[in-house]
Amino acid sequence: MERYAILPIGKQGVLGTVRQFLASLLEKKLVDALLVPLELPTRDNVVPTIVSNPEQVQAANPLAPVMPVNAARLVSRITMVSPSPDRLGVVLRPCELRALVELVKLKQASLEKLLLIGIDCHGTYPVDDYGKFVKESSSPTEDFLNRVREGKDDPLLRKACQTCEYPVPMGADLTIGLFGANLEKGIVLVAGTPEGEKVIQELGLEAIETEERQPAIAKLIEERAGKREELLKQTQEEIRGLDKLMAALATCINCHNCKTVCPLCYCKECFFDSPVFEFEAEKYLGWAKRKGALRMPNDTLLFHLTRLNHMVISCVGCGLCTEACPNDIPVSDIFRLVGHQVQKTFDYVPGRNLDEELPLTTFKEEELPEIGM
Amino acid sequence: MAEEKEFEPIIVGFFCNWCTATAADLAGTLRMQYPANIRPIRTMCSGSVDPVYVLRALLGGADGVIVGGCTPGDCHYVSGNYKARRRMSILKTVLNTLGLEDDRVWIKWISAAEGAKFARIMNEVTESVKKLGPNPIGKDWSI
Amino acid sequence: MDKMAKSEAVLVIGAGVAGIKTSLELAEAGHKVYLCERKPSIGGALIQMDKWFPDNHCSLCQMLPTLNRDKSDQFCLRRGVNHPNIELLYNTEVTELQGKAGDFKITLDTRSTGVDSQLCIGCGLCAEVCPIEMESQFDEGLGRRKAIDLSNPYATPHLYAIDWEKCTRCGECVSKCPTGAIQLEQKESIRQLQAGAIILSTGFEEFDPRLATQYGYRRYPNVITSIELERILSPGGPSYGELIRPSDSRTPASIAFLQCIGSRDSRRDYCSSACCMFAVKEATLIKQKWPQADVHIFFMDMRAFGKGYHRYYEHARDALGVQFTRCRVPVVKEDPRNHDLMLTVASEDDRPVKRQFEMVVLSVGQTPAPEFNELCQVLGVETNRWGFCQTRSLSLVETSREGIYICGSAGGPKDIADTMVEAGAAACGASKWLGSPAIRPTDKEPMEKPAEEPAPKTAVFLCGCGGEIASTLDLESVAEHLGKLPGVVHVETVPYLCRSEAFEAVRKRVKEHKGNRLVLGACTHISGQMLDELTTRVGLDPALVRVVNLREEVIWVHRDQLEKALAKAKSMLAMAIEDIRQQDCLPTSPMTVTPNALVIGGGVAGMTAALSIARHEIEVCLVEKSSELGGNLKDVYSTLESGDTRASLRDAIEQVQKNPRIHRHMDSEVVAANGYAGNFRVSIKGKDESINTVEAGAIIVATGGNEHRPTEYLYGQNQQVITQLELEKRLFAGELDSGGLRSVVMIQCVGSREKDRPYCSRICCSQALQNALKLKELNPGIEVNVLYRDMMSYGFKEAHYTRAREKGVRFIRYEPDRKPEVRQDGERLTVEMIEPALGGTLRLEPDLLILSAGVIPGDNRTLADILAVTLDEDGFFQEAEEKFRPVDFVKDGIYVCGLAHSPRGIEETIAQAQAAARRAVSLLTSKQLAAGRVISETVQRQCRKCEMCISVCPYGARAKDDETDEIVVREALCQGCGACVVACPSGAAKIRGFRDRQVFALIDAAF
Repeated sequence: MERYAILPIGKQGVLGTVRQFLASLLEKKLVDALLVPLELPTRDNVVPTIVSNPEQVQAANPLAPVMPVNAARLVSRITMVSPSPDRLGVVLRPCELRALVELVKLKQASLEKLLLIGIDCHGTYPVDDYGKFVKESSSPTEDFLNRVREGKDDPLLRKACQTCEYPVPMGADLTIGLFGANLEKGIVLVAGTPEGEKVIQELGLEAIETEERQPAIAKLIEERAGKREELLKQTQEEIRGLDKLMAALATCINCHNCKTVCPLCYCKECFFDSPVFEFEAEKYLGWAKRKGALRMPNDTLLFHLTRLNHMVISCVGCGLCTEACPNDIPVSDIFRLVGHQVQKTFDYVPGRNLDEELPLTTFKEEELPEIGM
Repeated sequence: MAEEKEFEPIIVGFFCNWCTATAADLAGTLRMQYPANIRPIRTMCSGSVDPVYVLRALLGGADGVIVGGCTPGDCHYVSGNYKARRRMSILKTVLNTLGLEDDRVWIKWISAAEGAKFARIMNEVTESVKKLGPNPIGKDWSI
Repeated sequence: MDKMAKSEAVLVIGAGVAGIKTSLELAEAGHKVYLCERKPSIGGALIQMDKWFPDNHCSLCQMLPTLNRDKSDQFCLRRGVNHPNIELLYNTEVTELQGKAGDFKITLDTRSTGVDSQLCIGCGLCAEVCPIEMESQFDEGLGRRKAIDLSNPYATPHLYAIDWEKCTRCGECVSKCPTGAIQLEQKESIRQLQAGAIILSTGFEEFDPRLATQYGYRRYPNVITSIELERILSPGGPSYGELIRPSDSRTPASIAFLQCIGSRDSRRDYCSSACCMFAVKEATLIKQKWPQADVHIFFMDMRAFGKGYHRYYEHARDALGVQFTRCRVPVVKEDPRNHDLMLTVASEDDRPVKRQFEMVVLSVGQTPAPEFNELCQVLGVETNRWGFCQTRSLSLVETSREGIYICGSAGGPKDIADTMVEAGAAACGASKWLGSPAIRPTDKEPMEKPAEEPAPKTAVFLCGCGGEIASTLDLESVAEHLGKLPGVVHVETVPYLCRSEAFEAVRKRVKEHKGNRLVLGACTHISGQMLDELTTRVGLDPALVRVVNLREEVIWVHRDQLEKALAKAKSMLAMAIEDIRQQDCLPTSPMTVTPNALVIGGGVAGMTAALSIARHEIEVCLVEKSSELGGNLKDVYSTLESGDTRASLRDAIEQVQKNPRIHRHMDSEVVAANGYAGNFRVSIKGKDESINTVEAGAIIVATGGNEHRPTEYLYGQNQQVITQLELEKRLFAGELDSGGLRSVVMIQCVGSREKDRPYCSRICCSQALQNALKLKELNPGIEVNVLYRDMMSYGFKEAHYTRAREKGVRFIRYEPDRKPEVRQDGERLTVEMIEPALGGTLRLEPDLLILSAGVIPGDNRTLADILAVTLDEDGFFQEAEEKFRPVDFVKDGIYVCGLAHSPRGIEETIAQAQAAARRAVSLLTSKQLAAGRVISETVQRQCRKCEMCISVCPYGARAKDDETDEIVVREALCQGCGACVVACPSGAAKIRGFRDRQVFALIDAAF
């Protein structure tokens, strides 16, 4: 059961209020540190940072519409070897939070002593575009919120964001609620767990009821789902079939950037970088002989198909793979398209619930009758 | 006039040691006839057939791939074929969604007693892949 | 036991499922096993069947050992059983027995099959030319075979044999045989051997329904037996699994099963125990594939008493729509126009109804084989009045002669699960008389591996198979092709690779070319012991040898496509060459075993297990939660079949107390456990809350179960209402004034076979019969009414049921939806019920109302969690496999027996405890557990410890090491299934023999 409280917005504005809220978590020792995006001195990007000094929080900007890295990877990095010894608040976008839940299932991260602070996500720009946007505006965060206030998505946002049907954090202890909130007056703080409720109590925030939040979310999701359908349809038209797919992947140079930025690709060393794929020269020449010619680097399609087989069931659609591709291959669109089908088969939404087993670690005796008989 | 030679597909078969490979032997003992297009590979369990093997075969030149395992519930390793079923379902969905002819990939449960079924399925898969024609993926230099 | 020199060998007579299981049990422990079989092939009734109740699964291969597993072939058991310690003697019977337990001298008589197994290559030309066609026994007469033919189609090497009765000695086959393997003169050879013990596992013969003419068997074509139906439903059967009836090969729209054919009649007043479930299974299989078929089972009592059976029966009835009608066995008449069958069904209300069916299946019972009596005479063991082997009181496996044991249906009709338990129990008993196993040649140290692996050099040998292969495939062109492949140092064609001359030739050539890999293009003949022999001779690790089946997988199946067949042969050989080129041969680390056992539970199961283990000079730690031994036995005074059991049970307690190897922990419980087979560490909490940690190699769960405390029928409210156990106590303690009793009513299935507990408690019908008989014995005047649903007097218990009726005990059936109503009117207890047979209301006024309260599981959850094993739906412990591994868990090293597993009688509990003990002893007497060749490993560099591999491993062979935090493989437990490899996205989990590199190379060679 969700509970709501209000973070009143004064003259410090929305961002200032969020910063004040985050600082108060540190000041009141509700957390010992925060993992939160901080604005670079150049202001044209943010970088996830572990902050323990409340003063540093004044540079935090979790609302900045940019996501240079999926921070689930970083939470994994921090907690992989051993769980956090102190209370650590992690401020995450919904796709980061979902990726984190998947990583926890994969034993790549620990939620122990973590306070999960989600933020309602209006979407993000590509890093370059954000940089430009910042240059054109004196208070870019507020401007951005104004731009998307009416529940309208900005067409310049990343495609993955525009088509994301999970704009609200799932499983967060606390959510910084922007949807349906009157940002002249206050941000809605949503407690999704008893942990979150405790924080609200400790901060002495006023509990409220809100009737605007759910309808606003529903409306947004409906809109996004519609766009997602469009995206799937469009992707299907663009890449379906061997010729189109090969055209889409033609420029792949096996740089593996997509897997490097993928929050779910958790392998230490990619299977495709392992000695299994180190072949003798005679092999390459043999393949060339068999087909008449062999494009190099080879095994690019095998790489993408295998990565789909391995990871698509857990793909949260953050879209960073597309951002990372030096040759503009729409990797994320392909993953969204395939992921939609695969996840539907097992009624699995990655990151929805920590208690849902990964589909590949379990099975039902009666299922998938089309396979095998 | 020289008639064009009929297309003879190459189909890679991953057959589980306990059931399908035994059925293959039984088909032999009973002299059941089936097309010689199958290239059998004995695996311990259908659950040990990594999708990447199937992909490797398809991308390397196979016109079809068939994975044969024990009937659900009969797995020597308790549940390998149940796990295989999920893996193969994902693999087929990936291929199908991308328009890559997932019907070149067959998964069949053939028990140790089913020599006749083994021969029948080998006939069916060969006929079906013949109809699909040569696998374009395997012949494409750019893959 | 005296200290004479005991033979370490054992003779097992009968190679059906029981014989194979008991042989494997003892072979695994290192004993030499002579497995002798009257017929020319093994498997008995078992390989005629494909699926079994109560799960419709095959799972035959589950019988194979999981520890030291490479000692036996890792193949489907239909192909045969191959273990270096088992010597199979086909066509062999025992003709004389001398000596005594521990030192038997046995004379065996082997009849030749006419085909020399050393020479026969299994090509089948003999059968092709044989002019004599006959009914195939394997297909129950539904299929055809030749007078010389395969005795079963699965066996490898192929076992051809002459049926001497039908053979006309025409000599066609002799002239056709390429190896001169056939001799048309039946020879006998006599052999003598020594064995410390003998196990009889000769199974049963199905009742011949021609002896019961009223059913029209063999007169009406569409009346068949249940075993014939089994062949019809088998995908390997005469109709390839299509359900057809004999008269017109049409799928029958309606099928009637008639139960109790040859059982429960005046001559055979025993129940065959398995046929009810057998019929339910066949009905289930039919309904699953042909849901529109009208399937009807006509039965007297539905005896679904085993674990999971009642659920299975209900599923068939309620979910699949199989019809069940309770009646005496119907009379069958044929409609000669269409060969349909008219049944006259006399159901309980005695109004005969006529019903027409298109096929009738006779559920034939189990009878002793005709020659069984003679065998028993030779062995000097007693048979009972039906001709089955007589066993001793409280034992299901001890015969009247010391050192000779029985298991399976030769000791009384039974199903597979019970047979498997007895196979273990018999092995346990027999081992008492066996000397310590000698070190066998196969136990030799693994070959030393050179520090650096030399470059792969592969020698290829192609078998011409006496022209069979050579005339079809152009082996020269094959050889030329292969010679060019990387790593190949030699290619040669030999006429027969399966000859020992050829082995020598191979050895020489391999040596000459410094070969270290071997690829053989041959047939299924080169497998099992022959392959072992060959690799030993050549001096190569079997992992470095590949056999390509050019016969069964190429020439025999691609007759009219020679060009394609040649291409396939080349590819297959090239694939094998590439496969083996990539094969590494790393040493494995054997696992040491802590040679102590832990037994949890001090009841009859636990005590029996502890004593059986301690006999092997193994220290046993026995944990009992209460302050005294005996468990439920305290309340049991006698059993239906063994009579008064008090003395033997007191004796057992005393033996446990006196045994210096059994360390009792009373008032104690297991609170924690970790480790794995061979190396468990278990924490035991004592009465004073102190924690004791013990190390044990094996754990036996024998925690028992409880009698259900009824909440119904005024129990606990009225002193006249008591349970069967309470009645038994009063009867034996003389607390019952039987003379003053006028009327006793017993109600069966109280709390059993109900929605909450959909299982049969198995023992309560026996308790009721026993107590009813006892009451009648004390005072014949007492009116005893037993209100029942189905009397579960399976096996020889049926005779007691008959006797009870003869003594005037009345058995009145009630329907579960119309239970008897029990009321108290003042002093008077009344029982009212509707009699389904007559429809009228019956009113009884008993002095005593006895409730058959059934068995409920103990608090098993806590222990299951501690041991990381699972419980079944009813809260009993879940064994590894219902039929073939009834005392094992999937997790090795932990075994279960007694009421912890499922409801069962004392004799059955003792047998199961012995079976569990036998499993533990096999493990604990292995000093080391060897890993298999195909096992998984972890490449630590690539491992991200996501534990996906751990979560998919069924055997607990993968774990996170507490100290290093690395994912480790417990090699001896790994079965090589490869689930971990597929689960691991990083490629950190590998399987030796199936490394990704290797599989890639193999695939690549396919084109």
